[in-house]
Amino acid sequence: MKNIITLNDLIIKAVEELDEERVIKLASKALKSGMDPLFLLDLIKEGVKRVGKLYEEQKYFIADLIMAGLIFKEVLELEEIKAQFQRKSDEIEGKIVVGTVKGDLHDIGKDIFKGLMEVNGFEVIDLGVDVPEDAFVKSVIKYKPDIVGLSGVLTTTVESMKDVVEALVQAGVRNSVKIILGGNHITREACEYIGADSFTNDASEGVKICKQLLKSK
Amino acid sequence: MEDAKVLQQERISIYHDIYDDRVPKRVPVNINLPFEVIAQFGGLDLRQAHWNPAMLEEAVDRICELVYSDVCVFMGSFRYPSFYHILKSQSFKMASNGYIQHPEVSGMYPEDYDYLIKNPYDCLVERVIPRLYKAFNPDDPIGFALNFAKSLLAYKEDFTLSAEIRKKMIDKYGYYPEGLFSENCGFTETPFDFLADQLRGFKGISRDIRKMPGKVAAACEALYPLVFKKGLPKKISKYSQVFLPLHMPPFLREEDFAKLYWPTFKRMLDEYASMGIRCTIFCEHDWMRHLDYLYELPTDTTLWFEYGNPKLIKEKLGKKHIITGLYPIMNLKTKTKKECVEEAKRYVDILAPGGKYIFNFDKSPLLLSDIKLENLCAVAETVRDYAVYTNPGEVAGMVFKKEDYKASALKNFESRYYISREEYEKLYPELSDFARGKLERLDDEMFDYLMFLLL
Ligand code: B12
Repeated sequence: MKNIITLNDLIIKAVEELDEERVIKLASKALKSGMDPLFLLDLIKEGVKRVGKLYEEQKYFIADLIMAGLIFKEVLELEEIKAQFQRKSDEIEGKIVVGTVKGDLHDIGKDIFKGLMEVNGFEVIDLGVDVPEDAFVKSVIKYKPDIVGLSGVLTTTVESMKDVVEALVQAGVRNSVKIILGGNHITREACEYIGADSFTNDASEGVKICKQLLKSK
Repeated sequence: MEDAKVLQQERISIYHDIYDDRVPKRVPVNINLPFEVIAQFGGLDLRQAHWNPAMLEEAVDRICELVYSDVCVFMGSFRYPSFYHILKSQSFKMASNGYIQHPEVSGMYPEDYDYLIKNPYDCLVERVIPRLYKAFNPDDPIGFALNFAKSLLAYKEDFTLSAEIRKKMIDKYGYYPEGLFSENCGFTETPFDFLADQLRGFKGISRDIRKMPGKVAAACEALYPLVFKKGLPKKISKYSQVFLPLHMPPFLREEDFAKLYWPTFKRMLDEYASMGIRCTIFCEHDWMRHLDYLYELPTDTTLWFEYGNPKLIKEKLGKKHIITGLYPIMNLKTKTKKECVEEAKRYVDILAPGGKYIFNFDKSPLLLSDIKLENLCAVAETVRDYAVYTNPGEVAGMVFKKEDYKASALKNFESRYYISREEYEKLYPELSDFARGKLERLDDEMFDYLMFLLL
């Protein structure tokens, strides 16, 4: 029993230290010795959360968040995990559709935000990059998310984001979702101009805002 | 025409005052708009205009007439589709709306590190460029050779066309004639950013930093002579500048920055300084954590900031370096004209005192819809008229002397794809000096083009 406990800690720690090889080695070992894949994922998520914490404390930076995201992805690719990866819906805090808006291909920020949302219990539907407004509308109708998250870094995305909000209004679904914007260039004025509910230029703050938005729904 | 000459003299003197460490008559207004914005302004189809830069002239003329700036409002473009298309570029592709897209690419794999470290130029030419430019097809060497030559012709043609437009405008409107695209200026990246950009990609490098930091450091050392040479201006004058956009530092932990980024970056700027060349560095994103490092760079480095606290920046760096940027371009879209103008005065009040300040925005707009032109004009004119000094000619802060900087003995790189003058002497003793000099210059141009493809 003692062994297992230390293995858990080791896994979390390896993630926290961003030691990719060690994470994969330990994870494979744990799975072989019978660890429940869902439990393993929780450990990994705990590690990623700690990375997020270190980021908030300014001990880690964006390159570290990218690395944590890569490790998370790698673990999801393990055979045992792939087979099992079906979250029970009662564990889900909320559902969000995210995407980088039309004209923009930058996805580093979006992927970081997505990763942090997942480890915080959200179901994330990721539409990718350069996503036109009607793709957002379609997926809002299809998945009925609580929140729509629009990502972008280019100054031109102010218009693309506005187009998405307007398209949601047109389709009559604007009021069924909360809309949050993410990107460094977004200011309060830009957020008002776009007509979103909230904005941030920090992924972990984004997670907090999303939790609040859920409550206020 | 006469007016333009007079105005040009004034512009030359305010820029030269800045670089000669004197307080100028007024703060230079350094506004450039990219190709796309001007094409849209002229109502041109971006797809056509990108293929035919000469089309832009009328729109450039009109925008120069409209927008006040001390440098040519049209900065040209690095990204014409002709040569990228011919070379089947994966890094730069024209989108359906005519915009040149730059998706994330990774032309170098982790297993290439050892070769890159040993033979950097060979690695770039043999492995990286062929992965990013599919026209480099080993199965069709003749087709490829022809296409490569064709792409170089296209590159020369399009750059010449836009340089001609710029030259006309500089004469007509009396702009400060030197700048990013002029002969005495250069453009390059730091070794680390060069590695992070098209070689490993931003995600790839983030992983390498944790998994193989030793190789990352060695790769930066190996790339150093290449990116340094790439940046060297064709002609070096007292007012030569090398421009470097800096991407990665805000994303790195301090210890990673100190170990992996800083050493070759600092050496590069020192080495340029030892030749009398000062650099303009675009500190993308937020550099507030790195101000103490920036202080260590050679005197009169022009620091173009995107974000940050202007007061603190001025206090810490304003006596040694030239500050520019910071004014949020977003304001021009979302705020009123009055607010934009007030904000411009606020930046001037903080950053102008004591000299060593050039007005610019935090970044360039990408499309015309990013800005309200009316606000842009109002801000530019406000700075011109408001940011006037009462003490022109006084010494402005610290003074740049190239003797203060030592060049590390620049080790030239060796490669079977680059023949140096000494090698030409050995290979072709029968040729005249002139002939060998010419061949060497052509090698340099080829080097320049190949490196450009990775920038
Ligand atoms: C990396 C990068 C690239 C990479 C992108 C790789 C990738 N897969 O994303 C490459 C090299 C491909 C690239 C291409 C281009 N780029 Co670029 N790029 C950058 C760079 C260096 C960093 C951007 C980034 O990833 N930031 C880090 C992330 C983490 O920040 P973020 O996105 O804001 O995300 C954070 C928060 O906002 C939040 N968040 C993000 N999304 C969301 C979503 C929600 C819902 C929430 C709540 C939160 C949230 O979480 C994140 C973490 O806190 C910046 C300059 C810089 N140093 O900032 C330029 C920059 C963004 N690029 C720029 C440009 C111009 C381009 C190109 C157009 C260049 C060209 N023509 O050749 C192309 C554009 C292609 C396109 N159409 O998108 C300009 C934009 C200027 C402008 N006026 O907008 C910048 C600002 C550089 C500059 N200063 O000039 N780029």
